[in-house]
This record gives sequence, structure tokens and C-alpha cells, in this order.
Amino acid sequence: MAQVPEVYVLGGYQTDFARNWSKEKKHFVAMMREAVLGALEKTQIEPSEIEVAHTGNFAGELYSKQGHMGAFFLEIDPVFSGLPTSRHEAACASGSIALLAAGAEIEAKRYDLACVVGVEQMKTVGAGEGGDFLGTAAWYELEAQGVEFPFPKLFGKLGDEYDKRYGLKDEHLAGISTINYANAKLNPNAQTRTWYMNYDHAMSRDEFNGNIGGRINISDCSQVTDGAAAVLLASPEYAKKWAERVGVSLESIPRIKGWGHHTARIRFEDKIAESANHEYVLPHVRATVTDAQKRAGITDSDGIDGIETHDCFTTSEYMAIDHFGLTAPGESWKAVEEGVIALGGKTPINPSGGLIGAGHPVGATGVRQVLDSHKQVAGEAGSYQINGAKNIQTLNIGGSGTTSVSFVIGT
Amino acid sequence: MLSASTASAVGKSAKSTDLLNSRSIQRVVVLGANGAMGAGSGALFTLAVPRVTFLARTKEKADGGLSAAIKMVRSSTVANRVETGSYDADFDRAVAEADLIFEAVTERLDLKREFFERIDKVRRPDSIVATVTSGLSINLLAEGRSESFRKNFLGLHFFNPPNVIVGTELIAGKDTDPKLVDFIDEYCTKLLGRAMVRTADTPGFAGNRIGFKVLNECAILAEEHGPLLIDELVGPYTGRAMTPLATIDLVGWDIHRAIVDNIYELAPDEAHETLKLPNYMADLMAKGVLGRKTGAGFFGKDDAGERIVLDPKTRKYSQKSAIARPELPFIEEVSELHRVGRYREGMQAFAAATGPHAAIAQKVIAGYISYSFHRVGEVTDDISGIDRIMGFGFNWAPPSVLVDVIGLKPSIQMIEKAGLPVPPALTNAQEGTTFFRDPQVNVGKFFVAA
Repeated sequence: MAQVPEVYVLGGYQTDFARNWSKEKKHFVAMMREAVLGALEKTQIEPSEIEVAHTGNFAGELYSKQGHMGAFFLEIDPVFSGLPTSRHEAACASGSIALLAAGAEIEAKRYDLACVVGVEQMKTVGAGEGGDFLGTAAWYELEAQGVEFPFPKLFGKLGDEYDKRYGLKDEHLAGISTINYANAKLNPNAQTRTWYMNYDHAMSRDEFNGNIGGRINISDCSQVTDGAAAVLLASPEYAKKWAERVGVSLESIPRIKGWGHHTARIRFEDKIAESANHEYVLPHVRATVTDAQKRAGITDSDGIDGIETHDCFTTSEYMAIDHFGLTAPGESWKAVEEGVIALGGKTPINPSGGLIGAGHPVGATGVRQVLDSHKQVAGEAGSYQINGAKNIQTLNIGGSGTTSVSFVIGT
Repeated sequence: MLSASTASAVGKSAKSTDLLNSRSIQRVVVLGANGAMGAGSGALFTLAVPRVTFLARTKEKADGGLSAAIKMVRSSTVANRVETGSYDADFDRAVAEADLIFEAVTERLDLKREFFERIDKVRRPDSIVATVTSGLSINLLAEGRSESFRKNFLGLHFFNPPNVIVGTELIAGKDTDPKLVDFIDEYCTKLLGRAMVRTADTPGFAGNRIGFKVLNECAILAEEHGPLLIDELVGPYTGRAMTPLATIDLVGWDIHRAIVDNIYELAPDEAHETLKLPNYMADLMAKGVLGRKTGAGFFGKDDAGERIVLDPKTRKYSQKSAIARPELPFIEEVSELHRVGRYREGMQAFAAATGPHAAIAQKVIAGYISYSFHRVGEVTDDISGIDRIMGFGFNWAPPSVLVDVIGLKPSIQMIEKAGLPVPPALTNAQEGTTFFRDPQVNVGKFFVAA
């Protein structure tokens, strides 16, 4: 692969994903403002230094009846007047697509410092209406129209496909849920940090852990919330000056060492038909993961110290475990049973709590994953720190395994 | 398979691990488990403890507490770790077996002391006794108890509902083992997800001392200006989730009285008069008005379901729709700024607002800041403890956050204009000082647009 200038991740900030901004009676621009100003304060960068801004957002038009989200970056501070901005959309992978675009511009030497902010305000509507909005991340007319909560059902089918090919037990999905919730309790920004959860609850099947469709119960789901996350990406030239200014070595600054990006056909059944004779259930997701590792010069997941993956449902994390190569295809359950993915295990998955524990404000998630990876590599993850983390890999997925993006963040 | 504690073994320093290993809590008994606090705390303990015993006057009442706990945390699995019983049949055995005895009976000194006397007779010498009092003196409660009881006794003040509100006060008595205090602090932080604040054994401790001072001041102001106007003037835009008088209605007027009477009697301070329960509240309480639990307090609904508001002067209710609302443009201005995340500009506009209505709101907020900073050294060692309990216990903008967003000089001017004492911590500070230093807290969350 071609040699390109490296992209440095200087740091960032996320809003507390437990907050309900509709209850606070706020416009989403308040959320963007807190995230971006928080990122600037954290990195000691002046607003006027930002040269370009990218916003990741899925469905502002539906949730807030507002498009043109990139333009709202200028409402954060008058100094941004005239700044080039854009908004990127790829369902739940919107934040990562915004990061890819910003990174590519830095690689192309158009700009030296970019701000990427992912944002989604989802509590503006009730659960049913919101579930219908999320259905537009699938082929709405064919897969979501008239279906109550279409996405849990689609990811339930992913579990069914695993069951058919390799066998799948509820106990392992409950184990994944339990780990994510337990990790979230260590994360001061996690949506569910005060929620009552343990393995018994994840295995319970009464009105408090109701069925949402197929094998998916409430404890298997990430839940709707409001949130924004922002990071600052820089060219080597800017990073060098910044390192001197804040008194750190250039080598200690986390970089985007590799990335992967693939898209599969939008309908779930088309994806499954395509992978019928493949050892991986979602081969394009697998290719996304391995591309990122190759670009980072990493042979396999042994070179990764931890993962921030897209556990929109427990089945998607179950899929991620073998697609990352932590086990042979179909044997993800072993990594759950053996404690490999727990914090303190060989390759912890979602020390932050992931989407299930930390929350999933759709457009913010990809940026939040990279921010959490940055915190791990910089040793700033506090109670959910993976000791000595050098390389952390993300996986952000839009739709039912449709758009996949992965980054390796490391030093 | 996995246990719930899989992840709890990591993310802790060696010192923290040593501290957590210094004691073992395998069994907890909750006394007064039929009440909201007992049931909610009991549910919380099941997150970390394999066996929790809910005790009440009868087993049926304790069963009721368990049902309430299940509903509160929305998990029937609470029952897997809970057994229920009565004081008559199960007290001696359950208390003798417990590593932690958690007392959550009615907030009455004599009643709590009766329980402690009984506990003292049957507890093991190494077991911990915690009381969830919201303001009674820990030293007074421990009076007459054995040496081992006093050494292992402390106040653990959860706020209601404890599964939602994480702010928790930890109060040591004069004989409490300091190592136990360190252990409970770490245990509650790491295993129960609490935001712990150590306070002195002073009336109302830190949170209620300051919080109920503000609430009572609003109740006093309501007599002249009416509850509706006061709740709007000191509303969410000033940095709180719930308006003050609606909070008193929710807490219960009887609880409010118990807290402010206790502080008024035992802690005369520079704001003494703002802690005196207004006469109209005492009169109405004699007629059975206790707030939401009796149907109405400052606010309620009439038989037709229309919203009604108390007129403290006449002691009668009138329909909300019939009460004239003055124009309050400064509140609209502040709210518009909060709505787009411009909290500094919003609160600076608040401090700069003119007119009699703005002056009322400014006096209450200035009073909150002044009173809080004056309590440093008396109720907590530093302002950060007060900030934590006001933020995590009351869901109010902590006093330091208010000074930071308003600005040091305008804050001092606002306090002076209200005729209140300016805390030396503010007078002596350099311009540009940041008072609130918890990067984990989004300070914007406290400022709700009206």
C-alpha cells in the first residue's frame, strides 16, 4: 500500500452519554458545542487553529427536522466563520466516515488540523418512532416499513445465522452483555453506568428484560441516547509543533496507523446469500478488520491490545470476536468463556462499555470509539484503562453489517 | 460462565485493592426495608453482596419492600439474593450473621437508638453498623453503645432514589475507626458506583444543610410572591433539574420541617433566619398538608384535574390558569442562551439582569454561593465536597460551577448587591481562578433551558 503522511489524533472530548438533551430542553448545537470546546480545551488548541471541520450524523432530518449539520459547526464560535465544513452519513458508521474524510484531507496535505465531531440527538421522539427512523439504515421499503423495531430483528437474524452454521447459546450473548455493562460502570461518561445489571439479569426473560424480536432481549441491545464526541486530527507538521508546545514527544502521540473500509449489499439476506460458502458470516467486515491491520503493519489480532467494537447488539459483538480473529470462525464463545475479551483479559473488547454499556448516539459512535482508543493509548482511560495499551482497533458498522470502518490507533 | 465481578477486579490501583480486601462484606441486613430508602438501598447492595436480608415489622412488609426494590431497579433477579423477615422472628439471627447492618428506619432519634441498643446486644464485634440518617447526629445516635459498636458505626447517607442518585455522604463519629471510613469510601465508590463525600457530623451534614437552606428560603419568599413565581424565578435555568418548591412537595413537608428545624435549632449561622420554617407551612401541616404524598402541597390538582397552586397568605388554593404571570424577559434571554450551549453567557446575563424579579432570583443564587463557601471547614474540608454533593446528590449546579460560569467579579458583585457576606475564598481569589475542577462532569448538564 502507498506511503502516505501519518494522521495524528491529538485528543478529544465526549459528552456524558447518560444525558437527555430533550429534558434539558436543548438544541443539538449545544451538544456539538460542548464536545468541540471540550476537545479544544483538552488539547490546549485555540479555535482559530482549526482549518476544516467534519460532522458525522445519521438522521438529524428525522430526529430534529434539521439537515445541513456541517454548517452548525459555525454556530459553536464566531471564529469559525468561513471555515470549510461538511456532514457525512453512513447510518451508524457516520462518525467513522467523517474521520476517514478528515484523515484523507490531511494525507492529501490540504489541511494540517481538522476537527471531527459526531453527533446525534435521539431522545426527541419515542421508542417506536425512533425505531422506525433507525429502519432507514436498512432497505426501508423491503426490511423496515411496518416492522416494529426492525434492527433488533435483523441482528437477531445474524444470531440465527451463527446458530445455523456453528451453534449459538444465549449464555454467551448474556456474557457479552454482562461484560459491557460491567465495563460501563467504570466509565464516567457511560449511559448505563448506574443501571442494574448482572449475568442473572441478562439471562432473565420476564417483563424487565422483555423480548424485542427473535433471540434479542432488552439486555442484548445498545440503547438510544443523545451524545456528541469530537477529536482533533493533525498532520505530522502540526503534530510536531503541538508536541513541542504541550511538552510531549511526537512518538507518544497516538496516530491512525491503519484503516479499513468496505460496504456490503444493504439487504441482510443478500449479505448472507453472498457469504453462504465463506467461513466468515460477514466477509466484508472481516476484510475491513484485516485491511486496517495490514495498513498498520500488524500481522493479526495478537498485535492489538484492545478493541472498541460495534456492539449495537450482543450478536454483532459475537460476530466481531471471530471476525477480528480472536478465535477461529464460529468459535467466538470460547473468547467469552475464557475471559479473553473481559477487561484484564488478553484482548479486552469495549473497555468503555461499548454501545451496549456506554450508549449509542448513532452519529457520535465512530468518533467516540476513536476517542476511547486514543485515551487507551495515551494512558488516559482512568478506571477502564488497559494497562500498557499500544494499539487499539475500532470497528464501526452502519446498517446490518453494510458499511464497515475500522481504525488502528496506536503509537 | 461469567460472574458479575469479572470486570470489577481490574481498573483499580494496588492501594485500592488492599483497601477493598481489608474487610469482607458477604451478608447485609437492611432494617426498615419496607421504606423507599431501605428497599432501594437493599437493591443496591445486591449488586455487590451475595445475600441481603430485608427486615421490617412484619415479613409481609419486608416482602413489600422486596417488590418495591424489584420495580425500582427493574430486575426480578434482585430476589435471587434477598431473603425477607420480621424484627420479631429474624432480627437476632440476621443481625448476628451480617457483616454490614444497614439501618433505614424512620428518622427519629429515639426510635433509631432503640434499634441500635438491640443491635449492640446481638451483632458480632467486627460487623459494621451504618445509619442512613439524613441529618441526625452520628455521635448522638452512638451514645451509650459499646466500644466495638462505636468503633464500627458510621453514617451512610444515600439520597432517594439511591439507584438513580449516586451522591452519598459518609459521616464518621468521634470513635469511628478511620480505617473503616477509608474502606467504606472505597467500597461504595468501586462496588456500588457511589460519588462519595465525607462530611462532618453537623446538622443536615453538607447536602441537606445547604440544599434545604435554599429550599426553605424559597418557601419563605413564596409567602409574599406566591409559589408559582418563585419556582419560575429560581427555576431550572438557574442550574437545577427540579424547581425548589416542587422539590419540597416531592420530599414531603414533614421531612422538610424535620431537616430545617434540626438545622435551625442546632446550627445557628449567618443565614439563621432563612432556616426558620414559615408559619403558613406549620399551619397547613397541622391540617394534614404534606406535599405530593397527601395530594397537594405548594402545587396539586383539583377534583376536575386542573392544576392548582397554594396561596400561602390565605392558605387556600387557586387554579394555576387564573394566576397572572409577569413578563420575565431575562429568564427567556438566559434560556435561549442555555438552549444553544452558551451557559457562561447565559449565567452572565442572569447576574447582570435588572429589576425586582431578577433581584429575588439573584439573591437566592447569591445566597446559595455565599452559604456554601462559608460552610467550608465546618461541613467539609474543602469546597469540592460541597460541589460533589450538590451536583451528584441534588442535581444542582455546584456553587463552584456557578462562580466559574458567572465569573469571579460578577459573582462577588451579585453577593454584595444581595447584602450577603462575601466568602473569603472568593475575595482572596485571583481573577481567572477556576473553582470547579472535576473534568469528569459536564457542567452544561446543570443548566436547563426554561
